[in-house]
Amino acid sequence: MVDAFYAVFQRTNFLTFVIIFLWGFYIMVTRYNLVKKLIGMYLVQTSVIFFLVSISAKKGATVPVLLSTTDPVQAANYANPLPHVLTLTAIVVGVATTGVGLALCAAIYRKYGSLDEQEVLERLE
Amino acid sequence: MSHQLPAILFLLPLFAAISMPVVCLKHRHWCQPISVAILAAMVPVSILNLHNVIHHGEVRYVFSGWAVPLGIEWVADGLASIILVLLSVLGLLGMVFSGPTSPKDLGGRIVHYYTLILLLISAMTGIVFSGDLFNLFVFLEVAAISSYALIGVAGGRALFAAFRYLILGTLGASLYLLGVSYLYAVTGTLNMADLVDKLPFLLSSKAVVGGLLFMFIGLGIKMALVPFHSWLPEAYANAPESISPILASLVTKVALLAWIRIVYWVFNASILINDIPILLLVEVAGALAAVIGASLALAQRNIKMIFAYGGISHIGIILIGISQGNPTGFVGGVFYLLNDSVMQAGLFFLAGVAFCQYGVRTIDDLGRIGKQAPWFTGSLIVMALGMIGLPPTGGFFGKWHIILGALEAGNYVSVAAVLLSTLLTLAYFARLFENIFRQTSTRSDAQSGEIPLSFKLALGVTSAAIMILGLFSSPITQLLLSHALPPAL
Repeated sequence: MVDAFYAVFQRTNFLTFVIIFLWGFYIMVTRYNLVKKLIGMYLVQTSVIFFLVSISAKKGATVPVLLSTTDPVQAANYANPLPHVLTLTAIVVGVATTGVGLALCAAIYRKYGSLDEQEVLERLE
Repeated sequence: MSHQLPAILFLLPLFAAISMPVVCLKHRHWCQPISVAILAAMVPVSILNLHNVIHHGEVRYVFSGWAVPLGIEWVADGLASIILVLLSVLGLLGMVFSGPTSPKDLGGRIVHYYTLILLLISAMTGIVFSGDLFNLFVFLEVAAISSYALIGVAGGRALFAAFRYLILGTLGASLYLLGVSYLYAVTGTLNMADLVDKLPFLLSSKAVVGGLLFMFIGLGIKMALVPFHSWLPEAYANAPESISPILASLVTKVALLAWIRIVYWVFNASILINDIPILLLVEVAGALAAVIGASLALAQRNIKMIFAYGGISHIGIILIGISQGNPTGFVGGVFYLLNDSVMQAGLFFLAGVAFCQYGVRTIDDLGRIGKQAPWFTGSLIVMALGMIGLPPTGGFFGKWHIILGALEAGNYVSVAAVLLSTLLTLAYFARLFENIFRQTSTRSDAQSGEIPLSFKLALGVTSAAIMILGLFSSPITQLLLSHALPPAL
């Protein structure tokens, strides 16, 4: 049991990911304000992106540019660049989603005069 | 040239989507004809691609010559090519249908509306062909973002439905991405073919199991599997009449196809979670979806809501078929997927005609349409036969193969689930017909008159396709058996 806790606290990146993810999820589920829901959604996306970047980190490694062109390549000396590239794409996707979400929020506000989920639902009936 | 066909199929709608705002800036009425022309060009290309794949084997397309596993690979195998023919035909019909039904109050924004539809179609092409887990995620999101915007176009209730869809859909996409990053952390690759080589040694790893589960939940939200289905009915029922056939028939099916690819092509369906095979979990989820979706459909009064819940229950039936773990069930599931796409498109065409032509939204008003509408009533009868699964429609043969596969595997619970959902489908169509033929309303339908050619075309082709899929079910299932089976079966 203690070992398990110890193992969890050794991996602070996993712990951070779980906290941000659950925090975002909690906001998404419990808040009635639509913009707050969007913020929760963005936190969930960001937590996954954070996780993806964190698994590429290595102790004592440098940027993935070859230090020498003559020596054989030592993979342990360079950080893995691929997750960062994936992350860039995922950030773009996240920004696009948030943009559409904010546009929908604005349209809902113009139409119903409120951003509160319950009030909007009342006016829909 | 022929090995470039997958890329051409993707680039046709993509370039049309990008150039649409420029080309149609001054001439708004060109949007719909240009979109129809692009989709009409996709149909022969996709058939050529299928012909090519059948005769010369699958095409592996590597972008800009970067070899696997460094580059991004697209795989045009039998399954993908067959689905792509379906996608382009249904997309074409949807475009033809959207001429007279597209939202009237958009003004200049109609250009963006058609841009989004073409973008949605090109993204779905990408999902079907993609051989790379991350690439699949990007296309899933492009398709999803286009659908959120397209649903929101209708305004009013649709805005709120689209917002809910956006929140849930993004959660699904994030979970899928989380699953992908788990697999990447374990194997160090994202390419499906490369994963097949590396995964067999890692199947007991908790990270692999967790990754697969996260992907299942993520794609489950995208395909509206039952516990995660709550976004679908509202979103599709309130979407503009012209776009709901394309959304309902293709978006969820394409997510389902992505799941089939991951579970059969990447994992070989061999993974155990606490000694429970993943296929059993999928089967239970499918059985629940089949029964719950159909029972919820019984409780609806809005026609589009009934059809949307019907679609949810059919997703369950397809999942039951593919999770039997034998070729009969798998082919039945894929054949039912083809049928279900056609039927969903047809049903939402019907709902669109009912609203745009006769002003009918709920089943209580259906009596107004009555007997003066031969096209409407005739195709509704064909769709109902298909949805219930009576011969000679394709729905019957799909369910037949699924039940045969389930009997072969000894899964009597899934047989019972398919039969129960069939009975419930019969019940909600009986309610529809009761309202149509009940001549209580004496109000004359003076506003109706002759229905436009594009409505006749959309209804006629989908009804004919349901019959043709049934009459030619044996060559089609043979084709699926010989070209679309995963390597494990």
